[in-house]
Amino acid sequence: MGSNQLTNRVRRLRFDNGEMTQQQLAEKVGVTRQTIIAIESGKYAPSLPLVFKLARTFGVPIEEVFQYESEDA
Amino acid sequence: MNRLERKSWLELAGVAVCMALTGVCVAALVHLDSKGMDRLLIGGTVGLIAGLVVCVRSASAEAKLDEREKAILRKAFAWASKVAIGFWGGSSFVAFFVVGGKGKIEVYFLPLLFVAGLFLAQFVQSAVVLIQSAKEEHGQ
Repeated sequence: MGSNQLTNRVRRLRFDNGEMTQQQLAEKVGVTRQTIIAIESGKYAPSLPLVFKLARTFGVPIEEVFQYESEDA
Repeated sequence: MNRLERKSWLELAGVAVCMALTGVCVAALVHLDSKGMDRLLIGGTVGLIAGLVVCVRSASAEAKLDEREKAILRKAFAWASKVAIGFWGGSSFVAFFVVGGKGKIEVYFLPLLFVAGLFLAQFVQSAVVLIQSAKEEHGQ
């Protein structure tokens, strides 16, 4: 099995949505600012419920927020 | 400092205080040459009650953690469990090799070892959380 890469556009979407701060986004989805930082830097893969919350906060489909690339693909 | 780090520092400080408290109580009772259960009962009870207070306060704080913090805590708990099991197993074998297969040790060592393992596990859990937090801050 090849290596899998989960990337995201949370930071860009945050700026595109009224230049939302990390703290504001964290409060909207119910996590800490450190968790948002970890997600944006790719150090933490969020759970499915959190992924849905982020997508709904930005008003875009999940694939717009998170991208999954496999070397096998 | 985030709430998970604060919780871990509190637990670390609490464990250190409880261990010191228990150690002082037991040492004093040994010095006074208390007999039977007194040595363990009084000294250990004081330390355990203090430890339970720390654990209850700490458990209530866990409900406020978010999913990432809970994941870190789960990882830390796994490490703490491994260390505790290793400590209990290791101390059993050390006792066997030191005292010998037909040797004898005083019974109060058994609950003391159990409590020492619990304290060690709590120390390891707090340490893992704080190390993980420090790594994230330094971008590792």
